[in-house]
Amino acid sequence: MNTLPTLLRRLAGVALLAVASASHAQEVVKVGFVGPYTGPFAVAGQAYRQGVDAFLALQGDKAGGRKVEVIYRDSAGADPTLAKRLAEELIVKDKVTMLAGFYLSPEVAATAPVVNSAKVPLFIVNAATPGLMKMSPYFVRVGQSINQPAELAASHARQAGKARGYVAVADYGPGHIVEDSFIGRFTAEGGQMVGNVRIPLNTADFAPFAERISNANPDVLQIFLPPGAAAVGFSKALAARGLTQKLLIIGQGEAEDGDLPQFDDSILGFKSILYVDANTKTPESAAFVGWLAKNAGPNARPNSFNVGAYDTMQLIFKVLGDQAGKPFDSQAAIQSLAGYSFRSPRGPVTIDPSTRELVQNFYLREVVKADDGSKRNKVIRVWEQVKPTAAK
Amino acid sequence: MSAAAFIILYGLSYGLVLCLIALGLVITMGLMRVINLAHGAFAALGGYLAITLIQRAAIPYAVAVPVAVLSVAAFGVLAERLVYRRLYARSQLDQVLVTIGLNLVAVALLSMLFGPNLIPLEPPPALRGNLDLGFREIEVYRAFAAGVCLAVIAALWWVFERTSTGARLRAAVDNQGMAQAMGLNVPVLFSATFALGCGLAALGGILAAPMLPMEPMWPLKYLVLVLVVVALAGHARVAASVAVAVLVGIVETGGRYLFPQYGGFVIYLLLIVLMVMWPNGLLAPRVERA
Repeated sequence: MNTLPTLLRRLAGVALLAVASASHAQEVVKVGFVGPYTGPFAVAGQAYRQGVDAFLALQGDKAGGRKVEVIYRDSAGADPTLAKRLAEELIVKDKVTMLAGFYLSPEVAATAPVVNSAKVPLFIVNAATPGLMKMSPYFVRVGQSINQPAELAASHARQAGKARGYVAVADYGPGHIVEDSFIGRFTAEGGQMVGNVRIPLNTADFAPFAERISNANPDVLQIFLPPGAAAVGFSKALAARGLTQKLLIIGQGEAEDGDLPQFDDSILGFKSILYVDANTKTPESAAFVGWLAKNAGPNARPNSFNVGAYDTMQLIFKVLGDQAGKPFDSQAAIQSLAGYSFRSPRGPVTIDPSTRELVQNFYLREVVKADDGSKRNKVIRVWEQVKPTAAK
Repeated sequence: MSAAAFIILYGLSYGLVLCLIALGLVITMGLMRVINLAHGAFAALGGYLAITLIQRAAIPYAVAVPVAVLSVAAFGVLAERLVYRRLYARSQLDQVLVTIGLNLVAVALLSMLFGPNLIPLEPPPALRGNLDLGFREIEVYRAFAAGVCLAVIAALWWVFERTSTGARLRAAVDNQGMAQAMGLNVPVLFSATFALGCGLAALGGILAAPMLPMEPMWPLKYLVLVLVVVALAGHARVAASVAVAVLVGIVETGGRYLFPQYGGFVIYLLLIVLMVMWPNGLLAPRVERA
């Protein structure tokens, strides 16, 4: 029979091809980094790229014997359904092994069902709504939960003797959580709330809100606004009303070091609580800052976005390293991250096993003028290794 | 009492700056019947140009502002000759589509040239700080901006109502065909008017820049407010434009002060009420349309 040798040859050929393509597929691991690379939040998207490029430049692009390739997809920061579709395409068409990035909480929430059915780990860099972590066992968050800095701010204000609290937040999900967290903690510790206001997201002129706050006569003000136009405008309105000098004002990420050139001197004295200290001096941060200075322009400073992206790459490389030579197992990857401690450019961090978020330092920073006349955030208080509170 | 004072003072300054930007559009729409939705782009261009001159070329504020305004006006003439001239005969839908497209191109160009961040325009040192009016304080800059707007608007009104140039302009608005038959050089008049409209937009943008910071999305962001003023003011009427813009400024400010969460919607309620009651614009036109 002539057909059997032919058949065997053909089978051998197919088997060789299969082995060849399988081993070829193991050589490149793709990671999908979804982010707002254009649109109103493009600054954050640029910072994501900085973090990824910095990591690949400093640590190389091979993990566990495989080359890591990052695929960027632009969510434009506008539409959760678009983010979900991009995630689907990355998984199905581009065959990514892991997802990362995202900006707004609704984007992550929309992607949860995709990630759950495809069993793909997703590293959240920015979205900070507490309830997200419950939506998928494959979510790992390298940012924060938005209630953490609000609660720390309330405690700090009470310890500083402030008794009349006011909260002004942007009128969207994370803002409402900040409002609830601050009010809850402040009143639980004996303070009295004299008012709160929710500022619509498209506000251009903040003078009316500054006026309202002034008329309520608080002694501590917690604000939360998306960084950019809103934060600059609001801080100017507060300064024009004389409030920056009169009250303790605590924000979150509104005036990061990279943003400070946009503000005038009315921002001096503004305090904020965040998990990033742009001026920390550790070997990891020095390497990161050095790379930024050479490659990202004179105004680039560490912020929550580029540090978050950098740490995401670190975690991705860690799980790939653990699984060298084996086909990728997402559940094993998530389990290997529980309790994992590492040194990030922001300082020492550990992944909390029960919530898959970071146990990290939080810093109270104040905007001061440096000797060379520029403005920077100076750390005036550190809360060490704050554990995430369980999501409600 | 203090709430009322705040709303009136701040609303007035906000409205007057808005009026300046809107007046440019009221004039060009009234005369040339072109719906120029890219008007906000000229205002943003003025703001960005002023910022570039002041911050990168270290030119003093008092010099940079006129230079920026005149440059944008000159650019307006160029735009009119190249693009807008082709739109006069076309349908309103075509005009809307082309000018919205121009607006989007402007947004993308601004983003490419200046980055997605917003860039603040600092008032010069002489205009910083607060002015004490006795019953409350107001920022010096707001008082200055309001003053400049009033002066320019008064000058415009005087030119329109009291000079022969103004009379010719009004003639061309009221009846273009007859004006042309009487020997008015309409193409030159159109170019000059478009330049005036762009210049006013640029001045408005520069004055607004410390209060409404410059960013690539600026032309789109404030387009709606400008259109509200234009829609309610009717064709080429300075007095109506001022009245509507001040009303818009006060309602916007008051709405945001009294109802912080819904403040942005109050202006649309006003728009609906005014459109229903005065469909031809606030303050009836002097002559009927032929």
